Amino acid sequence: MAGQTDPDLSIFSSAEVEFLAENEVVEIVPNMRMEKLEMISGDFGPFLPQIVTKVPLWLAVALKKRGKCMIRLPEWMTVERLTKVLEAERESPREFQPLPFHYVEISRLLFDHARDDIPDIYMVRNLVEDIRDVRFHKVETGLETISGRTHAVKLKNLSAMEVNIVRPFVMRALQAFYKHDSPEMIPQPDVNGSKRQQVANHGPRRDLRPR
Amino acid sequence: MANYYNIDEILMEEELVSVVFQVEANGVGLLDPGSESNDVEKGAKVDLPFWLAHELYSRQVVSVNVPTCFGQKTWKEIQADAACVDLRSRCPYFYELGCRVAPLVGDKSIGSSLLYTFAGRYKDALCKGHKSGFTSTPKFLPLLTKEESQLFEAARSSMAAFKKWRVGGSRLERASILGRKRKSAAEVQALNP
Repeated sequence: MAGQTDPDLSIFSSAEVEFLAENEVVEIVPNMRMEKLEMISGDFGPFLPQIVTKVPLWLAVALKKRGKCMIRLPEWMTVERLTKVLEAERESPREFQPLPFHYVEISRLLFDHARDDIPDIYMVRNLVEDIRDVRFHKVETGLETISGRTHAVKLKNLSAMEVNIVRPFVMRALQAFYKHDSPEMIPQPDVNGSKRQQVANHGPRRDLRPR
Repeated sequence: MANYYNIDEILMEEELVSVVFQVEANGVGLLDPGSESNDVEKGAKVDLPFWLAHELYSRQVVSVNVPTCFGQKTWKEIQADAACVDLRSRCPYFYELGCRVAPLVGDKSIGSSLLYTFAGRYKDALCKGHKSGFTSTPKFLPLLTKEESQLFEAARSSMAAFKKWRVGGSRLERASILGRKRKSAAEVQALNP
């Protein structure tokens, strides 16, 4: 079908999304002395022992692997904050709580490389998993309500990984709905010169579906 | 049509539709297996592939009947439970063919029925696609049309890729050639005594 032959056209793999997430800034506490690093995206450092500085996640992970720093847990990854977010997610069935755009990837990178810097790591990990499951279930129930009149789906506060998972499906489903709904709503002259008939009046269209 | 080289488009146009000849046609007896002479009589009912039927229809040589897969029986079943109807056996290109056939047969209800069918069936592809595991092939897969199974596959593969990423493991994949072990001389001898 036209437009649907190339499903992989604009799809990131999970590893690529993770790569993008590594540009997020985190705070580290170095335990070595090093000059300022001058990068195209900006200067990082100078690095002095026990002085907090901000670096991108990839640099933090690289330093951490060499034992040169301690990564400070981002504020949103504390047990209290995550518990609150989880409660709020469970209470509001149609809204998503604001979390960092790359929260899935950042939390996984930190769990993998900086486990000794995270207090209550099991607790934090479980909370992040729970939050992700609750949110994804919300996404699924939301997508089940797509109908012929849906031109776009608005999902506020959705994170990069969540978008990436549903992207192929949503693209196809919306395209299919658009195709099956359009000839009836917009009478078009077709090859035979006759007009396609308007079949059913679906009422006014809503362009955006608020979530 | 939109994409000349689209294989699904080509296969879809191979689907047979039944047509009635409005004029007598000489020398094309091979189109009608029931014909005794080399001609097709006026009023003869013949099954033709869609691409041929479409061309003949635009020259007003034939009139197109509603294909059986878009008949009342199908719509009744779909109204009962859209998700359980075996559409693949009726027509693997159900939606695509429906869109193309509808203007030819002048049946105005086909368009809205197609939409109704798709709306009733896509949810299953979504839920089951996200929940099914890596390898198992679900039972309902043979019921889906081509388009629906592509939809299902899109949901399943993205979820599987995410799960794989989450479980993690080594980020660097090893080249397949490195996995091979070189056989020692003794092993080679044992294999070929």
